[in-house]
Amino acid sequence: MAGGPTLGLTRSSCRRFWGNILKILNFLKRKKSSPPEGWENFLRNKHQCFKDLLEANNTALRVMSRMEAKLAGDFVFDMEYIRSRSEIIFHASQTLIEQLNALGDNRYAELHPVFENIKTRIQNEIQAGTTSGEKIPRVLPLSQVDRRLLMAVGGKNANLGEIKNRLRLPTPDGFVLTIEAYHLVLAENQLAERLGQILEKVEVNDVAQLLDQSRLLRELVLAAQIPSQLSKAVHEQYLHLAERLGYEPQLALRSSGLYEDQELSFAGQFLTVLNVPVTDFFPNYLKVLASQFSPSALVYLHEKGLIRQELAMSVGCLAMVPARASGVLFTVDPLGGRAEAMVLDAAWGLGPSVVEGALTPDHYTLAKKPEIKILERRLGNKPIRLIAALDKGGLTSEAVPAADQFQAALTTEELLQLGRYGVQLEEHFGGPQDIEFAVDLEGKLLLLQSRPLTLLKPENESELPPEIQGPHPVLIDHGSVACFGVAAGPVFIIRQDEDLARFPPGAVLVARHTSSRYGLVLHKASALVVDIGSATSHLAILAREFKVPSLVDTEKATQVLQNGQEVTIDADHLRVYQGRVEALIAAKREKPSLLAETPIYATLRRVLRWITPLNLTDPTVSNFAPASCKTLHDIARFAHQMAITEMFDLGERVGRDQMNLVQLKTTIPLNLYLIDLKGGIDADPRAKFVSPDAITSIPMKALWRGISYPGISWAGPIPIDVRGLYSVVSRSLTGPMPDFWARTLAIISLNYLNYNSRLGYHFATLNAYISEVRSDNYISFRFQGGAADQARRGRRAQFLGTILARLDFEVEVTGDLVVAKLWKYPRPLMEEKLDLVGRLMGCARQRDMVMADGAQVDWYVEAFLAGNYRFAGEPRAHPTS
Amino acid sequence: MPATILIVDDEPDLLLLLKIILTEKTDYKVLTTIDPHQAIDWCREYHADLLISDLRMPEIGGIELLKIVKEIDPKLALIIITAFGTVESAVEAMRHNAFDYITKPFRKEQILTTVEKALKWREAQLSA
Repeated sequence: MAGGPTLGLTRSSCRRFWGNILKILNFLKRKKSSPPEGWENFLRNKHQCFKDLLEANNTALRVMSRMEAKLAGDFVFDMEYIRSRSEIIFHASQTLIEQLNALGDNRYAELHPVFENIKTRIQNEIQAGTTSGEKIPRVLPLSQVDRRLLMAVGGKNANLGEIKNRLRLPTPDGFVLTIEAYHLVLAENQLAERLGQILEKVEVNDVAQLLDQSRLLRELVLAAQIPSQLSKAVHEQYLHLAERLGYEPQLALRSSGLYEDQELSFAGQFLTVLNVPVTDFFPNYLKVLASQFSPSALVYLHEKGLIRQELAMSVGCLAMVPARASGVLFTVDPLGGRAEAMVLDAAWGLGPSVVEGALTPDHYTLAKKPEIKILERRLGNKPIRLIAALDKGGLTSEAVPAADQFQAALTTEELLQLGRYGVQLEEHFGGPQDIEFAVDLEGKLLLLQSRPLTLLKPENESELPPEIQGPHPVLIDHGSVACFGVAAGPVFIIRQDEDLARFPPGAVLVARHTSSRYGLVLHKASALVVDIGSATSHLAILAREFKVPSLVDTEKATQVLQNGQEVTIDADHLRVYQGRVEALIAAKREKPSLLAETPIYATLRRVLRWITPLNLTDPTVSNFAPASCKTLHDIARFAHQMAITEMFDLGERVGRDQMNLVQLKTTIPLNLYLIDLKGGIDADPRAKFVSPDAITSIPMKALWRGISYPGISWAGPIPIDVRGLYSVVSRSLTGPMPDFWARTLAIISLNYLNYNSRLGYHFATLNAYISEVRSDNYISFRFQGGAADQARRGRRAQFLGTILARLDFEVEVTGDLVVAKLWKYPRPLMEEKLDLVGRLMGCARQRDMVMADGAQVDWYVEAFLAGNYRFAGEPRAHPTS
Repeated sequence: MPATILIVDDEPDLLLLLKIILTEKTDYKVLTTIDPHQAIDWCREYHADLLISDLRMPEIGGIELLKIVKEIDPKLALIIITAFGTVESAVEAMRHNAFDYITKPFRKEQILTTVEKALKWREAQLSA
């Protein structure tokens, strides 16, 4: 069937066809019609929007960089700092969105709700990190709890409330005794001062004394009288709970320390009591409160530098789940194995058997994308399970029938559903999660807690020590890593709890399994090696927090290793060597400062999770859209890119006679477009291309002189060492590759230049005004990003910053961001400086990849200043650096 | 004998950060409190060498505290912590014989250097 476009069309499709033609005609008419304010004002307004947008973008990125720099761990700041800087970024983001919509005739209105959503998340985190002046009730139903109440209900309860009330995912029903309840108990029993006096004297290195102090503290709490108003409030909440459930449940009492399950996990330090009859409620409540003074909890608090004010306990009281199976899900593989994979351990009965490492659970690996599916299934031997004791409360263990011991504890559908929950929780909490769950007897999945996951992949692969061949026999060569690193020391085997009191500082803790009681001496251990246990156990989590290199599941450590024997543990390569392997020990990493692990740093990290990560990098892919913006950095990136696009479109829309949009004819692959506002180009207004000679803009001309300076290479690869290349490849694996030679846009007039260039991963903007009036003259230059790893990008920033400072710019370097300003110089000098900035931009191209060590920066600086723009005689990095 | 340093601030977060910095690599004895009254008691009790105080606290402001503790021990070194934008008040504190002031946010090296200088000043005062 052939014919014209209307052949064979129905009447309604004909109407649609002509309707579309009319739309096109209207568009063309609109294109030609002059705006009400006239072309000149129209352009001036749009340009003002663009300038305001750039200003807001610069402000947002500058403040983001400064906030991120604080995380390095050597700054002192307070909540007011986090609050005020977040407000600046909110304001800048709001301006970005408004100006983009003004530029694009409101086509980006979708950004508003996206921004509001991210802003609310950040405000909730800030509120969660702030001690509220408002009086919080002593007992609250779980349905009224979320992260905003963090300081009143503790981390574990706040997260569970979030899961139940915001995500609407299944959790047990229950209520919460807040920190106000804890303070009331202390106040009514005059305990605060007495506990404080003992805490001041806690001595963690003397186990006998520590046990005494811990016992004394716990006895004081356990002997406390429950104030009548608290007992009444709990009774009321229990009756409401029973009414909602239709029966009077046994309860699970779960500790929720002030900072528990935030960045500090306190994993396994505080008590959870399961299957509590309501008649035994308060003795068990006091037991949970007292658990914050357990010997290992005291060691944890001491090691984390937490002072008395941080000690306060909220308790979650949940209807008991008689679990058929339970387990732990990690939403990323903490061993850094497969990308985009989750790992899950499950066993029969109630949870403690999985987390305490007393058996080998079923182990699964799940794929996250493109859909949840099971990648690997390894069924464990599960000879026992914990169940709720029927009459007296508490738990009892029972043998699993032989036929079930190697059977999967979870069905495929349950696994997939857990995977979906995992992805949802990770998305909601903004990072990898460690999730505990249970499946009840009817097969209903219930989420019990979700906390940030401590990752154990080493940050810098290049620092890994090599594997050793030679005089040191390998005693153990398999198992699973629970914390990377290298350590050496004499073996100390713990066969019973009494052995803990004799544990010598610096020894290697060797044990049959991963009991969290060993947390008591973990701070003194140089390494941990156990026969059975998983990297998901509480002790493994603690080992990561204390940065103690650890191997689990070695099967034979307690048989192979001898007390007092000197050994070296290389957890990175799953090896235990006999003797001290000095080559490995010399390469071991230093423990980071405690500062970065304090609650205020944790709050900043949580806030920045919604601000700084950049997910949108490639404007050519379909998800480069408002809906994909997960952070304020994404919004800034999106708005900036779209603003440039809008400026290009403006050029098309306005037409050559009103605004001159031309491409520069040059062999340099910059893909440079110029928008001439007035007097910046001397060429035929109908020309689509102009040669550099046609540029009359004073600052653009000066910059171009530098960009096109003989000897500056803008094309072709530069020699990169293997690690430099690796760092680029790993960055491109973690994020999409951007369009490499994206368009560069310069908005110019006779005296003005606004230059925006994105080359590969880095981005440079330059604003300049140069005239005969010296006091009006300025250059403002900013540069950020790169393809290589953070350290190399930082070195390039240092390279740029040092040169710009030598060129008399006022310079600020934060991470990989360089901001440089120069003003009030006479015109010839300003032109000279811009020329040099042009040369510098060319020389800095891909230079991040080659800067393998700090010493090279000085060499490149001197080479540039000496006019060696091709960097002849370039130093090579040492192969092991 | 290691120097005794008292820190008073109504933000527990800041107390924790300062305590970690000042005890991580030195042998200073550091006591922290959110209560300026307790800081005054401690000045009497412990013969402290240095008091680090926030400028703005709800009950007793930094300058008032400064005046009180200087009456207890005129040779006590005092460092005032101030937020950006309240530097004028910090200058006022200097007029009341504070040793120095430091503006939040700051690097740990800054406070360590300032503390070191303040303790040297204190030593010189005591031996004068």
